[in-house]
Amino acid sequence: MKHLLLYLLLLLGLTACLDDDDLPAVAETDLTLDFRAEYGGEGLAIQREAYGYPTGDTLKLLLFQYYVSDLELLPAGGAAPVRLAEIDLLRWNSASDSATLTRSYRVPAGEYVGLRFGLGVKPELNAQDPSTFAADYVLNEAEFWGPTTRYVFAKIEANADLEGDGRFDTGLSYHMGSDALYTTVEFARDLRIGPGQTEQLTVVADVLRALSGNGETFAIDNPDQQAVHGGNQAVAQDIWNRLAAQFTLEVR
Amino acid sequence: MRGGLSIVLALLLCYGCDRKEADTPPDFAAILYPDDNASTPEGVDLGERLFFDPLLSADGTVSCASCHQPALAFSDGKPLSVGIDGLVGFRNTPSLTNVGYLHQPLFWDGRATNLEAQALHPVGTAHEMAGSWPVVIDALRSRPTYVTAFREAFGDVPIDSTLVGRALAQYQRTLVSMNSTYDRVRQGEAQYTEQEALGHAIFFDLGDDPGGPFAGLVRGECAHCHTPPHFTNQRYANNGLDEAVDLDDFTDKGRGAINGQRYDNGRFRTPGLRNVALTAPYMHDGRFGSLQEVVAHYNSGGEYAENKSANVRPLGLSVPQQAALVAFLETLTDDSFVVGSLRGVGLNTDSTDYSTD
Repeated sequence: MKHLLLYLLLLLGLTACLDDDDLPAVAETDLTLDFRAEYGGEGLAIQREAYGYPTGDTLKLLLFQYYVSDLELLPAGGAAPVRLAEIDLLRWNSASDSATLTRSYRVPAGEYVGLRFGLGVKPELNAQDPSTFAADYVLNEAEFWGPTTRYVFAKIEANADLEGDGRFDTGLSYHMGSDALYTTVEFARDLRIGPGQTEQLTVVADVLRALSGNGETFAIDNPDQQAVHGGNQAVAQDIWNRLAAQFTLEVR
Repeated sequence: MRGGLSIVLALLLCYGCDRKEADTPPDFAAILYPDDNASTPEGVDLGERLFFDPLLSADGTVSCASCHQPALAFSDGKPLSVGIDGLVGFRNTPSLTNVGYLHQPLFWDGRATNLEAQALHPVGTAHEMAGSWPVVIDALRSRPTYVTAFREAFGDVPIDSTLVGRALAQYQRTLVSMNSTYDRVRQGEAQYTEQEALGHAIFFDLGDDPGGPFAGLVRGECAHCHTPPHFTNQRYANNGLDEAVDLDDFTDKGRGAINGQRYDNGRFRTPGLRNVALTAPYMHDGRFGSLQEVVAHYNSGGEYAENKSANVRPLGLSVPQQAALVAFLETLTDDSFVVGSLRGVGLNTDSTDYSTD
């Protein structure tokens, strides 16, 4: 009994030593992360701008959006990634929308070697019924393929003038998403994030580069390629591949 | 009767618990109850009384239920709403089916940020109730049963328009429809007819699935905007009703009139389709008298405007396919919702009339 009492006292003492107050403090700081949408290197202007397309056609964007999963900072030294967001939806669908959407997080100050995210809704979430989430949660933004099939990962919608008559009368609607399409996007950059010296990070997505790049241009004048939805994802595969490959990270 | 409504509310609040126990996801994401207006049985009862009470109008002839009639899934069967003295408004009365689940701004043009705010609009609108809030509040404060009902619902605070809006919102959050044929099919309790199944496949673009039973079937492109479970994405679209070579040509500018953004001219909030077969006529101006006309419109691809939805395009539906799509839309009717909601009718016309005590 006496030994047990001593043991308990010792344990109590050790527990006191492990009090949070004695752990080295990890300073947290604000991190502002911008998501910028562009077309041909210029800030995306939904509806307001008529954009040239490599085929000689002209289009006006109505909607550009994409989900990101597991948005994470990668600490220097190989520590566990710092999760900024499990899921988020970046959407531009109004002429009033700024080309840059800003998100704010609290993160440990320190040195990082990169930023990464999954483009789309990660399989664990893509398998979940949205009714289990709050009605105003980002996974209840009515971006479903159907009543039992889940998320559309990214959308590009526009009206195109294919005849050069000034009428933007050909709808273009590209909806993409499936577990097979889910893609990790990673930027390897040394980042210093700390009080007073946080760099401004901007994730840039260029709609034109998603549609046309590396010598290939998606044929928007092909009627079979003007609406890509649901099961015909093979048609959109190259748009998706370009979309996933074109992201850049600006650090200022 | 009102006790029954309290039971409905209690069941609604517990619905998610029951389903959780059964390890089955709920049909819908839970209703969001505002922190400053949590629903209570007393608040819901009061809201129901107010909803059916013409006291809110200038001459005591028009209540919320005059336009939002339970038998018509809380719409009115008219192309445009008709208010006091027969004055005709300029928009079609929207259904209130499952309105409590919608968390984006309300009205065809999104001018009300939530149900509490929405409920305040019609009272002072000239072609609706044409009333005056000070007059309405005086009338409510002069009626002992209302004074009691407000005290039971909100405590010992003065009756004002905010409380009226909160009570009406609480009642409207009980207007839940989840027992249509569509729902029962999803739950394995019913089956579509062959025609309904075809319409379902067209609605949800199942023809896009190369390995599915409807591979190659023409697409309806409906669910891009009319997204389940409430068959609305709660956003704004120009669905091609009117040609507008210039975006300033729209006579009803819809969303653009609210936010001043000309690129949103002609855009209207996508309505939910639950009980849609009961809510004719259709569109923001009630121009289509039947679902057949609605489907024919979308099949045509609509009229030109540079902001027309890219998903509104000529569909190529045959006549039988159009009929199938209508048949599917009719499966969204929930008879139990309509019957269950009828209890409020006559609430203020019996001997315990709250508007005359």
